[in-house]
Amino acid sequence: MHAISLAKPRGLDVVAQRARLTGSSLVAPALLLVIAINILPALYGFYLSLHKVFFFGNEGFVGLGNYVELFRDPFAWQAIGRSLLFTFAALAVAVPLALLAAIGIRRLGRWGSVLLTVLLVPWAMSPIVVALLWKWILVPSPGGLVGAAFNAFGLPPQDLLTDPLLAMPTLIIVAVWRNFAFATIILIGGLGQIPRDLYKAAAVDGLGAWESFSKITLPLLAPSLLIVISMLTISYFNEVQLIIGLTGGGPIRQTNTLAYLLYHTGFVELDQGRGNAIAAVMFLINMGLIAIYIRILGKQSGAAA
Amino acid sequence: MKILSRASLLIACLLAGIIALGPILWAASTSLKPTNRIFAVPPEILPQNPTLEHYAKLLAEGVHWAFLNSSAYAVVAVLVALILGATAGYALMRYPVAGKPAVLLVFMGTMAVPGFAVLLPTQMLATSIGLHDTWSILPILYAGHILPFAVWVSRSHFATVPRELEQAAEMDGYSRAEAVWKIVIPGAKPALLAAATFGFLHCWNDYVTGSTMVDSPELRTLQVALIFFQGFHGRDWGSLMAGVIIATIPPVVVFLLFRKFLIGGFADGSVKG
Repeated sequence: MHAISLAKPRGLDVVAQRARLTGSSLVAPALLLVIAINILPALYGFYLSLHKVFFFGNEGFVGLGNYVELFRDPFAWQAIGRSLLFTFAALAVAVPLALLAAIGIRRLGRWGSVLLTVLLVPWAMSPIVVALLWKWILVPSPGGLVGAAFNAFGLPPQDLLTDPLLAMPTLIIVAVWRNFAFATIILIGGLGQIPRDLYKAAAVDGLGAWESFSKITLPLLAPSLLIVISMLTISYFNEVQLIIGLTGGGPIRQTNTLAYLLYHTGFVELDQGRGNAIAAVMFLINMGLIAIYIRILGKQSGAAA
Repeated sequence: MKILSRASLLIACLLAGIIALGPILWAASTSLKPTNRIFAVPPEILPQNPTLEHYAKLLAEGVHWAFLNSSAYAVVAVLVALILGATAGYALMRYPVAGKPAVLLVFMGTMAVPGFAVLLPTQMLATSIGLHDTWSILPILYAGHILPFAVWVSRSHFATVPRELEQAAEMDGYSRAEAVWKIVIPGAKPALLAAATFGFLHCWNDYVTGSTMVDSPELRTLQVALIFFQGFHGRDWGSLMAGVIIATIPPVVVFLLFRKFLIGGFADGSVKG
């Protein structure tokens, strides 16, 4: 600080210095709160991940011990696999659905905005409440909604949430039901920016509906699609409330994603050293995903310019 | 051909609407049925003898206190985040700020990374400074979660209000703070309302923060109270669905009231910044 002010003794005039002081002090409260609530705990969590911490008691420094143990645990690897499966399967369902909805809504005109509002109602709900709601929808009894559907086809009601094969797909459907429409909003915005003349020109050139979709819509929608994909990836990868409410990681760990493993290890087993190691791994994967998407997005906009 | 595609579009939309709202309406219907009709086969779509007994049971269990807690936490957090966020956003746009690139990076980085990963150390820090299980911990944490977004939205939207308008107000004898209040804030109102709506939904819809940061029953959020209720009365679907409906009304009403700003902001990409 001193060196800087000595180097430019007369360069900074009083007015500029005062403006800088005002600006910094206006930013300070928000900055301090964000550092205290988001950054400090992250650093403290990393510190704890290097210690053996159990039931709020720090039993000493163990270096990378928690990480080594974590990566030796086959269940941790299974959880990473489950996270990736959940994330990318949900994406594979949600993105085409959101795109379809966006195209349909734009065609509908005035009624389209009504439909969009309707589709967004589940998104406004709490994930844990959505889980409670779907537990009732899925209740394995002929008096339940899904049970009655099984009944109508002459099948006995299945408990989809305790079936090792069907629990994950069921969870994915509920996750997509809750939030795919949010992606639709952004895609509608993206579609609106594609010049209509391009489609007219394509029609003149004799391009069919599918060709104009794949040659005009998809490439020009790429930036919006990437925003949607990255937002949904991060939201699905970190989803924990639906899993707590619907399956609790079961049956036989089939829905035990990394986010749920963190919740269970840290808050149920109270193995807080290891829980923080899982959090650090999740943080790195989050950062990696964001970096990949920024890279792709950067290339996209570079190519467009 | 044209008529056919129009008709199929309408049918698809109707179907989409039923899939989106059907489960919620089914929960509403269940919440109004007497307990002995809830498992009727085939299911009664509409309650034949509607009753409010499940809502009465929840009230007797004190659900209104949890409802008030959730509302108070969310409202305080949104107000704090908007005030601090707008102040910081304005300064970041109009003033020189020490270490500006680093400050922007802090706000952007914390916006991208979900809060769930730092919940565990947050719980330990809150415990060690005596804030765990107090009235203040949830509003503080929620405000911290939604603040980066509020800063970002304010900063990018204040930029659309011409500086000349502010200066004109100052020439008319207003102080700079008054000029901001009278000119800049109203100019960015849609974006600020979008940020407020988004923030409210984040707070109201949270479960993990609420369930790990407070233990006392009288401090619980509605979501946490519902899960506790489920623990005690696991099969009482009538009351559980009444709880689902009570917990769903506030965020849906807020969303419906402010959907214009929310949808508009995200569709033109401006809320993203």
